[in-house]
Amino acid sequence: MPVAYPRRIAALILRFAIGIAPHDTLDWGRGMLSELSHVQGNWAALIWAVGGAGVLAKHALLSVILPGSHRRTLSSASELFSEEGPRRKTTLAAIGACTVASLLFFLAPIFRQAFHVSLAQWHNVIHVKSVFDVQGPDPELETLARKAERNHDAEGLAFVATRTTNQSESARLTEKAVHLDPKLTWIYAVVAVQYPSLPEINQWVPLLQQSDPQNALPNLIVAEKIDIDLVVREKIPHRVEEQPAAWQNAMAAAFQSPKLDNYLARLIELDRRVLLRYQVDDPFQTLGDDRWYGLPSYAVADSSSYAHWLLESGRTLEAHGDRKGAFEKYLTVVRFGQMLGPVGGFFLRRERELQEACKRLGAISEEEGNKVEAAFYTSLADQTDRAQHEELISLTNKFKGSDVSHWNAFLVKASGLVILFSGGLLLTCALAIIVRGKSLRLSALRPSRSTLVVGLCGAIGALLSSAVLYVTYRPYAEILQRFMRNGDETSLTELSSFLDTTQRPLGAQGFLDVSQFAFYFWFGVVLLCIFGLLVAVFLRFQHRARANAAT
Amino acid sequence: MKIPRISPQTVRVLERFIEHPTAWRYGYELSRETGLKSGTLYPILMRLAKFSLLETKWVTTEDGVPPRHTYRLTPKGGELVRSLPGAASAAVKVRRPAFSGGRA
Repeated sequence: MPVAYPRRIAALILRFAIGIAPHDTLDWGRGMLSELSHVQGNWAALIWAVGGAGVLAKHALLSVILPGSHRRTLSSASELFSEEGPRRKTTLAAIGACTVASLLFFLAPIFRQAFHVSLAQWHNVIHVKSVFDVQGPDPELETLARKAERNHDAEGLAFVATRTTNQSESARLTEKAVHLDPKLTWIYAVVAVQYPSLPEINQWVPLLQQSDPQNALPNLIVAEKIDIDLVVREKIPHRVEEQPAAWQNAMAAAFQSPKLDNYLARLIELDRRVLLRYQVDDPFQTLGDDRWYGLPSYAVADSSSYAHWLLESGRTLEAHGDRKGAFEKYLTVVRFGQMLGPVGGFFLRRERELQEACKRLGAISEEEGNKVEAAFYTSLADQTDRAQHEELISLTNKFKGSDVSHWNAFLVKASGLVILFSGGLLLTCALAIIVRGKSLRLSALRPSRSTLVVGLCGAIGALLSSAVLYVTYRPYAEILQRFMRNGDETSLTELSSFLDTTQRPLGAQGFLDVSQFAFYFWFGVVLLCIFGLLVAVFLRFQHRARANAAT
Repeated sequence: MKIPRISPQTVRVLERFIEHPTAWRYGYELSRETGLKSGTLYPILMRLAKFSLLETKWVTTEDGVPPRHTYRLTPKGGELVRSLPGAASAAVKVRRPAFSGGRA
């Protein structure tokens, strides 16, 4: 009968191991090989060969590392049993050294920050909350607010006001901050953009207009509030003419304003000062949420339809021969588009109103024989087209993030997970040793070989993952420090993309997957608990059956 | 004299030898009786032999079958095992054979 493949492979493995084994173990290797033909079962023969080959390979490796170890002559029989002691001590020392080295990483503030970032992925999984529960308290912010109130720190209060998810608290802190320091009136605008349905906005807008009369933002805030009220009342107008007069006036004033400042630059500076003052080193707090835009989204989106309406009006005036009136209308659109800038301009450029206005201005200038002005507006129209394309690419890249930041975020998340797992292994081993020794005296603690192996794996895992976490996160910590100390915004987008990715649990592709991930995570936990319970019950019954058989 | 600690696996192997101190035993036979896999059993046997507590011999059982490596406690080994209180008389537990691929 032909020899089965597993058995053939088993013989091959053992023969290979014999080939590399040191001279004094050859007999043992041949002994294992001769026994192979007596092992019952093909797979059992393969397992026999793998085990035996492992022994020979270990001796081969030892003979390479310690050439004299296989020529040692016996000294006394008691050495037989004392040999395990030093080995165990060496392993314990290695476990201890690796564990201490891993713990030493925690002394470095950068590492503590990195570890905090690596755990961010679990925040949405562990803190499962209702979709309506958006006003979750932030203990860190609450502490900062208390400190700022105690110190009468207007900037500290403004910092919390722009970040808290509690709308009424945000309004209260804003008013208190401005009361303490009237120079902070602009904070009203930031909070109003964040919470456009706050009733306090009606009192804030005149103050904003008074402090910064040329800014279009207060008018956009007014238009935004009217917009949202209409949406809430489900009376959404589809044409500009159907909008309330207050909205039309606010929008007209916004389009006529000479500047648009969303106060983002001031806010970033304020954030930096407060973070340094209160020594907040949480990168998520530092960067905040969605600060890239900072404009009332409804109003800016509606500015597109208002611009469209202005263009229509301009065409009508042109048709009636009023070129000057038409020119003014088109110019208003172009000026507002330029004012919105690279980010806000996206809304206006999307509908091509800006490009159309530039083209019409070029055409009127041409008709009036003003060739220089016509060429200027034509080139502006081309630039607008290119700028729109570049802006789209830039926005897409911003949201997608770079491959490097995604890979680094993966490494950070995986390292954090391995540190937790390794810590768990080490803790389990420590408990197992204490339970086995039934004492806390060092001399009574005798770890088994398997405990030592698991402990060593845990310690090495903890050390390696700590090192990977530190090395991977360090460049991002430097970006953050540069920004905090000098306001240097270089690579801040990269940091932002990295932090965004670290908040998604491993395996979840997008933010939308997080809720599904949380479901699968807890489902898995429940399944594991049920499995553990079943195993415990099974072991209990097996133990009882053995006890009954013994009696 | 303070007796050094012996691993439970070594105790199992010594138990098998001490039952019939003069008998020659095969590796696979010991493996089945002790429930130890080859990767655990052979290092124990090798260490016992290294300290002259175990002697080894090649034996030919029948024609055409390769000779087998066999093991037996030396008088020194037997003496040492008997001097270990409780070592060789450790509680006998029901153990699963190491390789239960079929019947011997």
